[in-house]
Amino acid sequence: MHAIQAVDLGKNFGSTQALRGAGFTVNENEIYGLIGPNGAGKTTALRILSTLISASSGRAEVFGFDVARHPEKVREIISYLPEEAGLYQHLTGLEFLEFMAGFYADDKEERDSFVEEGRLISGLGERLRDRSDGYSKGMKRRLLIARALMMKPRLAILDEPTSGLDVIQSVHVRNMIKDYADKQGVTVLLSSHNILEVEYLCDRVALMDLGRIVAEGTPDELRARYGAKNLEDVFMEVTNHE
Amino acid sequence: MPIIIFPVMGGAIRISQESVQKAIVGASFAVYTDDEGFVTEAFLEYLYRNNTVVPIEAVSLEDALRQFQETDSSALIYIPRGYHDNLTQSMKGELRVYANLRKLNMAETQSTNVVSSLINIYNYYFSINKIGRLLEQTGGLGTPEAIRSPISIRYASILKGTVLDIPPTSIISLVMSQSIMLPIMVIMMVMFAIQMAATSIALEKEQKTLETLMTLPVSRLTVLAGKLSGSIVIAIAGSVSYLIGFGYYMNSAFAFVPEATTMSIDEVSVGITPFGMLLVGVVIFVTLVSALAMALSIAVFADNVRSAQSFTGILITPIMIPAIILMFSDIDMLPQTVQWILLVIPYTHSIIATKAAFLGDYFVVIRSIAFISVWTFAVLYVAAKIFSTERIITAQFSFGDLWKKLRRR
Repeated sequence: MHAIQAVDLGKNFGSTQALRGAGFTVNENEIYGLIGPNGAGKTTALRILSTLISASSGRAEVFGFDVARHPEKVREIISYLPEEAGLYQHLTGLEFLEFMAGFYADDKEERDSFVEEGRLISGLGERLRDRSDGYSKGMKRRLLIARALMMKPRLAILDEPTSGLDVIQSVHVRNMIKDYADKQGVTVLLSSHNILEVEYLCDRVALMDLGRIVAEGTPDELRARYGAKNLEDVFMEVTNHE
Repeated sequence: MPIIIFPVMGGAIRISQESVQKAIVGASFAVYTDDEGFVTEAFLEYLYRNNTVVPIEAVSLEDALRQFQETDSSALIYIPRGYHDNLTQSMKGELRVYANLRKLNMAETQSTNVVSSLINIYNYYFSINKIGRLLEQTGGLGTPEAIRSPISIRYASILKGTVLDIPPTSIISLVMSQSIMLPIMVIMMVMFAIQMAATSIALEKEQKTLETLMTLPVSRLTVLAGKLSGSIVIAIAGSVSYLIGFGYYMNSAFAFVPEATTMSIDEVSVGITPFGMLLVGVVIFVTLVSALAMALSIAVFADNVRSAQSFTGILITPIMIPAIILMFSDIDMLPQTVQWILLVIPYTHSIIATKAAFLGDYFVVIRSIAFISVWTFAVLYVAAKIFSTERIITAQFSFGDLWKKLRRR
């Protein structure tokens, strides 16, 4: 079974066409990346798959569940990290993890195990006992990624996971995602502007431009197909940008 | 906050009123007389017995007024020449009272009233005494009191079929003082709840937690119910603290006022029965739910707490206006057009229902509950629609954008 099957997805916001028939497939246990410039439609595609918004046309399934017809089933198996996600500022990091774990756990034992997992993923140690309004941007992002992964979702949808982070924090977050996906067998769909990041993290990638998928494959395949040194060149080649 | 603010306000008013009272009690009066005779002497003796009276020795009224202004006295009672003669010849005797308004405060006005009261009491007993002596001289029938005031009125009220020896004004003022508290409570609660609900959803948007919340494995209706119930709990807690604070404020602020009546609500058999209380509970609940659902639906269009609060300001206006109007008057007393306008506003029925429950008019209460319930279902349906679609994420409205669009057109 495919983790994600998106077919001919379209989305209009008034007169603006954010998606124009985008289609892609994500296999189970792989890290799949959507690359593209601002306005390419990456976030719109992720929001449709995480049931936040509905597609104007086309269809999408997550582990066999249609996102439009069974959004509640989809939400049970996914975890979504928005690009501009925030924290409840009056809660400590630990309280935030506990609060979020409560939505997924069946009992206290399971909730505690999720929180423990989140604590380890975040790597924030004792700082988890502090209120989150005192956290740096990097600490907040680490906590949010820990939140998204701690309950071992079948599919983690991460929108720009390293957005706004410095080099050190970005490397930490990338390693966190890669390790966790490898060890726990979580399928990850992520979006990024950062082509190097995607080359490092993703098993397969889709290049997006103007609401369409313009190329898809493993980084090696894409480089070979277009005779390019890296995915940046591939992107420039397929989109005819100079 | 309200539990602190209101008692402090009450305490402040109480202190100021007590100081006014103290000033009135401790106020001294000056007396200057241009007259002589035993009637004048008797009046002066009466004044000296009752208050701190400062006699003024002067050569003329102008001189007396000048001296009076140099004293701490707040009023001067001037007995002009002829006062004794007029009264002994059964003519009107005239007194003049000069009030010295130094600071134009309440105590100064009140002290003049105290002088008037003193003179009125003297006036009454003087006339009774005089009528008594005339009756003795003429051998006439009757009592001096009956001749002075031949007609007396004894008020009684019929309440729910029971005749009570209590003036209607006393009952009305008692009932009003109690029945006003209920609408105030309802309005406080609704306003609190609206602010809470709108802030809670706008805060999710402002802190960027809404998208995460909407992808959690809970139904959107559960999120809506959670927001509603959370706001209801906070609104009830807030209103209770408001009421405690407000109650203390009323007690403190009006503690100086002598008891107008010793009646209690039970004695006059008006008030809320347990069934009435239950109906008021239902009214408050449906009112809260509809107001909250409306606040949540509106707050979805705001992208931060400030915008949400300005949006809910618009919502609070139609709740406040009927509440203020109906707090002091009855819907039937208003002009027909105003009645219709008010009756279209669902929250008018909440006020009508709480007042009717107090007076035991349960038909009106149930009719109002039915009306508010229909409205509540409609608002809840809209809120559920907004929450279950992408509007919760994508909806946005700003007055600035609207203005730009209108200008473009």
